[in-house]
Amino acid sequence: MLEVQNIDIYRGETQILWDVSFRINQKEIVAILGANGAGKSTLIASILGLLHPVSGKIIFRENDISKISSHAITRMGIACVPEGRHIFQDMTVLENLEIGAYSKRARPSLNKNIKWVFDLFPIMNERKNQLGGTLSGGEQQMLAIGRALMSKPDLLLLDELSLGLAPKITIDLLKTIETLRDENTTILLVEQNVEMALNHCDRSYILETGKISIEGTAQELMSNDHIRKAYMGI
Amino acid sequence: MNSLFFMYLTNGIVMGIIFALSALGVSLIVGIMNVINFAHGELYIFAGYISYILSVKLGISFYFAIPIAILTIFIIGILIEESLIKPTYGNDMYSLIITFILSIVLQNFALLVFGPFPNKPPNWISGATNMFGLFRYGNQRLVSCLAAIGIIIIVFLLIKKTWFGKTIRAVSQDRETASLMGIDTSKVNMLSFGLGCAIAGAAGVVLAPIFPVTPLAGVEISLIAFIILVIGGMGSLWGCIIGGLIIGIVQSFGAAYISSGYKDIFGFIILILVLFIRPSGLFGRKAL
Repeated sequence: MLEVQNIDIYRGETQILWDVSFRINQKEIVAILGANGAGKSTLIASILGLLHPVSGKIIFRENDISKISSHAITRMGIACVPEGRHIFQDMTVLENLEIGAYSKRARPSLNKNIKWVFDLFPIMNERKNQLGGTLSGGEQQMLAIGRALMSKPDLLLLDELSLGLAPKITIDLLKTIETLRDENTTILLVEQNVEMALNHCDRSYILETGKISIEGTAQELMSNDHIRKAYMGI
Repeated sequence: MNSLFFMYLTNGIVMGIIFALSALGVSLIVGIMNVINFAHGELYIFAGYISYILSVKLGISFYFAIPIAILTIFIIGILIEESLIKPTYGNDMYSLIITFILSIVLQNFALLVFGPFPNKPPNWISGATNMFGLFRYGNQRLVSCLAAIGIIIIVFLLIKKTWFGKTIRAVSQDRETASLMGIDTSKVNMLSFGLGCAIAGAAGVVLAPIFPVTPLAGVEISLIAFIILVIGGMGSLWGCIIGGLIIGIVQSFGAAYISSGYKDIFGFIILILVLFIRPSGLFGRKAL
């Protein structure tokens, strides 16, 4: 579904990603794991068109999207739950969800998708007229996921889902993500919390100082000695 | 308490609403784009001039002259955004300087084309109304005030209820996330700058029958608009309404009971007081 081919990404003068390649197949949860500063958020930003690679290609369903601007990429069917959630604080929960369905492909099924999101997260229905900024961290994360789902994306990017959340809430959300995969949404999970992510993904890539160092299925990585030492403290 | 008191109060409220309208456009643009449009007052007088030319020189009825004038300013606003503001994205100082220079250029353009003398489109309505048996108040001012209220309500509905309004609010709160929702933020910039200018134009056509336009009339309007902007809080639309009413009422009473010679200073005194007590303005938050 998504294929990243040998991209080099700079922020200003500094090169952040070096010759990074990976692929995500349809109906798969792929995790990109790595420590702080490994370049995970940069990778997400480049898929979303917020940064453009100097060399290499990003192919989404046979189209090269590496030079397209971010709003056009969203309209092609990629949605994102940004790091730190970034919900619209001064808009109500319902308005946040509506804005998520801004793209033309999502507008006709607006009401159906709102119902879908309310079924996934019933608490959002109770809070629908509350301002986004008044929600708790976990609720904001649900809203951010719901908002992303409103565009009925084929590919959903989750940047640091676990950030600032209690482990129990994170695990509940990851279970929801697995349900979404079974309903035919492809998911890219970007995480610092390696152990938690490996428990809930199909395949994974480890990003270290801007390069992909290890790749494999979740089971393979969980039994990899280097990963167990460096990221799980075992 | 006598009838004069109520007249000053009425006048203050009418002027306040008109001031609020003239500040609304600047506030909108600041809230969305973080661009301070110093040429706001000049767009206001240009709308006045256009409605003057259409109605006096060309003899078109004001029912048509008003929408044409507002539409023209909207288009001019979009052209300004595309040609001058767009290249300055990311540097607020450049846009500040550019709009400041634009205001001087437009003032001199007006001086060259329309001359230094005040021009005034005809009144929409003549006569005066007896207010509650207390005093008589000019019909044109009342109608202008009603028109201003109508325009303010339209702008609020546009922002609170429509898709365009939702995208504007999303962009003003978090530009990058808005673009991740599929919103073309540079298109929103263009349209909202045009809208802000069109509101300035609307204020111009509504006020021109009361305050004749001169090439420099825009300076005073800009000044009052910026005072209101700071009092109300940058980018807050409610702040505009409340700030406008405060300035209007205080000016009216100040001019009546202290001295009309000091009319303009009252706004600045309030500005300083507000900055002492609430530096971010009464409704100071960076969101609509």
